[in-house]
Amino acid sequence: MIKASKLSVSLGAGQAVRDVSLLVRPGDRIGVVGESGCGKTMLGLAMIGMTPAAAKVSGSLRLDNAEMVGADEKSWQVQRARRVAMVFQEPMAALNPIKRVGDTVMEPLIIHMGLSRAQARECALSLFEEVGIPDPEARFRQFPHEISGGQRQRVLIALALTCDPGLLIADEPTTALDANVALRITELLARLARDRTMALLFISHDLAAVARSTEDMLVMYGGDIVERGKTAAVLSDPRHPYTQGLLSARPRPENVRETDGRRKRLPTIPGAVPPLADLPAGCRFAGRCPVEMSQCATVRPAEREGTICHQLEAAT
Amino acid sequence: MGYFLLRRTISFIVTLFVVSAVVFAVMNILPGDPALTILGLDATDDALAALREELALNDPVITRYGQWVWGALRGDFGVSHSFRVPVSELVVERLPLTISLAISGMVVTVILALVLGIGAAAHHRKAGDWGVMFLSQLGIAVPAFWLSILLVLLFAVKLRWLPPGGFPGWSEPLGAIRALILPTVALALVQAAVLARVTRSSALEVMRLDYIRTARAMGFSRQRVLWRHVLPNALIPIVTIVGLQFAALVTGTIVIENVFYLPGLGRLIFQSIANRDLPSVQALVMLFAAIVVTANFIVDLLYLAIDPRLKARS
Amino acid sequence: MTRLPVNLMIGAVLVGLVVATAALSLVWTPYDHTLLNIRDKFAPASPVHWLGTDQLGRDVFSQLMAAARNSVAVALTAVFIGGSIGVSLGLLASAIGGLVEDIVMRLADISFAFPALLFAIMLAAVFGPSLTVAVVAIAFINIPVFARVARASANQIWTREYVFAARAAGMGRFAITRDHVLPNIAAPVIVQATIEFAIAILAEAALSYLGLGAQPPAPSWGRMLSEAQTLMYLAPQLAIYPGLCIVVAVLGFSLLGDGLRDVTDPRLVRER
Repeated sequence: MIKASKLSVSLGAGQAVRDVSLLVRPGDRIGVVGESGCGKTMLGLAMIGMTPAAAKVSGSLRLDNAEMVGADEKSWQVQRARRVAMVFQEPMAALNPIKRVGDTVMEPLIIHMGLSRAQARECALSLFEEVGIPDPEARFRQFPHEISGGQRQRVLIALALTCDPGLLIADEPTTALDANVALRITELLARLARDRTMALLFISHDLAAVARSTEDMLVMYGGDIVERGKTAAVLSDPRHPYTQGLLSARPRPENVRETDGRRKRLPTIPGAVPPLADLPAGCRFAGRCPVEMSQCATVRPAEREGTICHQLEAAT
Repeated sequence: MGYFLLRRTISFIVTLFVVSAVVFAVMNILPGDPALTILGLDATDDALAALREELALNDPVITRYGQWVWGALRGDFGVSHSFRVPVSELVVERLPLTISLAISGMVVTVILALVLGIGAAAHHRKAGDWGVMFLSQLGIAVPAFWLSILLVLLFAVKLRWLPPGGFPGWSEPLGAIRALILPTVALALVQAAVLARVTRSSALEVMRLDYIRTARAMGFSRQRVLWRHVLPNALIPIVTIVGLQFAALVTGTIVIENVFYLPGLGRLIFQSIANRDLPSVQALVMLFAAIVVTANFIVDLLYLAIDPRLKARS
Repeated sequence: MTRLPVNLMIGAVLVGLVVATAALSLVWTPYDHTLLNIRDKFAPASPVHWLGTDQLGRDVFSQLMAAARNSVAVALTAVFIGGSIGVSLGLLASAIGGLVEDIVMRLADISFAFPALLFAIMLAAVFGPSLTVAVVAIAFINIPVFARVARASANQIWTREYVFAARAAGMGRFAITRDHVLPNIAAPVIVQATIEFAIAILAEAALSYLGLGAQPPAPSWGRMLSEAQTLMYLAPQLAIYPGLCIVVAVLGFSLLGDGLRDVTDPRLVRER
């Protein structure tokens, strides 16, 4: 079980993640969505102890019973791969180019799990099968540049599974892939989480992928979790103005054409995410929000029913 | 891959031939009359004629070049004018010392440079990094022969731990090793300074890459990430420089052997110059140049071994 | 206003020191550096002889000053000759292209098989050792270095629009090379020359130390060291000063070269 309370990551004058509280239980599948720069990748990195050297992490993060905020690199090394594993965005660049992919997957089995080479080979081959790599024996001897992007991402997922982690963080695992391949990888991740009762933190800006692979979701903006809930509920009935904007900005049949058949302009959220240091102290969305009130920019909204918004506070 | 190998091998052979032509031209055409160069201006006509006969100087230049190359290919470099024995015998006698010096120098260079370079990269922008950068900047400016003199001053003259020079012969293994310690260190320190810089910047570049992040995310220790993931990938530019440095080291032995009075090929060249022994100088210069060219050729082959992507491309 | 890099400033100060000393030695040294005074041999450092005297009673400080002049002169001559030939070949290769370019560049590759020392050894064997031999050998190894730099930079210039415009206006290859290419490759060539200067000073010292360069009584740091080596038990200090001078000069030129490169080619500013 992983529990974050008031977890924050500061970068210079700004806060990339602000007071995030989150409980992850075995088998949970949680989507994290938001625009680039909303803090979702930084949250993922904080949960595996790999924030940039300049970043300051505060609050609390408990992996089972170990407090990891303020823990040194050595303590993190023990947790990585075994309790928390991470799959990154660019499968092209994320594999060591001069190692055969089989050796890459065998390495943690030998180093962390203490298997012999022969055992590690057996185990790695079965992982290759589990993640749907066809003809594992042949793939095993190949170098990363010899296999496709989708296959590489599967290798990276197999690598992440080697030490049977309690939580797998997947940071935009499908963004660099073709739509077709992306769909398969998304389904694979959801299946693995179900089969292994492994928690999955699926970080993506692709709402369709999140809808397909997760049960719960978080919407992040400016380092805050602005809305959380069951994935189906959030997507069908978004409550925070930012989530509403994000959902209406999706290209869907009904917002591509007018009723008379003319092309419609795709709705967008006006403005852009400001730089970290310029985020408003109150609600992070103030300044871009269509229903902004006078106190929004200065007063932090409290959480009500999974969302933080002064409008909803006022309504209840 | 086969194509790359073939092309590189052909260019290696062509280079050797061009180099041999240059050496031959400088040593045989530039002086005008090599016999006169060897014997000096006060030589008698009879002596000159006899030497011309001995060196076959009356044959056309092309014939002489052909004979020299043909002989060299069979290991026959002619007869040393001053020692009156075949040059190949002199070489065989002195080669072990020069090769031991070059190889031990290279090994010490590589070990020092990798440890310092990777260490500096691991402590990027910290005191250790600055220290290594400062030392390597200084090392590049220090001439190997002066460093040798300083080492002799400290370890031979002042502390009296090691001999200041000379070589007792291989029949005394301990003495031979003691005699080679200072020369090896002098040879290696300067080269290690250059290589440590290259190692550091190459490692820093690799450390930024995604697959290093993957390795860290897998919970591998810092040391494992550095030596098993960063270093092998950082090796490509390092190998290039090592190849160039081996060339520099081999010619560096010429200097170092003269500093420490070691009876290797480098001493032999200088004795030959002093004796105006053109056939020996010609053979030895060709030998050194061939070692340099061969080192570069081997470096190209090493690339293929290190980087599997190259095999795919070529 | 960007701040000048530290290496550039330190390099400029050290180079300034060496060049000023060399220039000063033309008009003034404390003593004539060849003046023998056997009665006063191995004198310690004192207000009379700032760094003492050598085995023949010659003033060490004066010798070091005169040797600075020798070092700078050799480096200047060798780099200038090698650089001129190399840049010309590089420009020629770039302007004509095709087979000429291939041949020039292949020859440049091959000449890397001859370190300055090997070349100097051949020349010394044939002509007898002299400072000229050292200068020619150092100049020779500079040719391929400059040919490569000039060709690589010139090839970039040839793709620029103003060169296309000049060609469209009917200017010939050599006129374009003179008017457009040469002025625009000056920066990388000067940077390279500064770095080669450092290498030339090291090479001259090594060759003179080995007896292939400056001959007695010509002043040279390398030659002073080879004499001092035989006197290590008597006067170890004599083996220190000339080496320090070499380090200062080489360090100065190499730092200056690195600094100039950082300033003239911002893309290449390396991780420091």
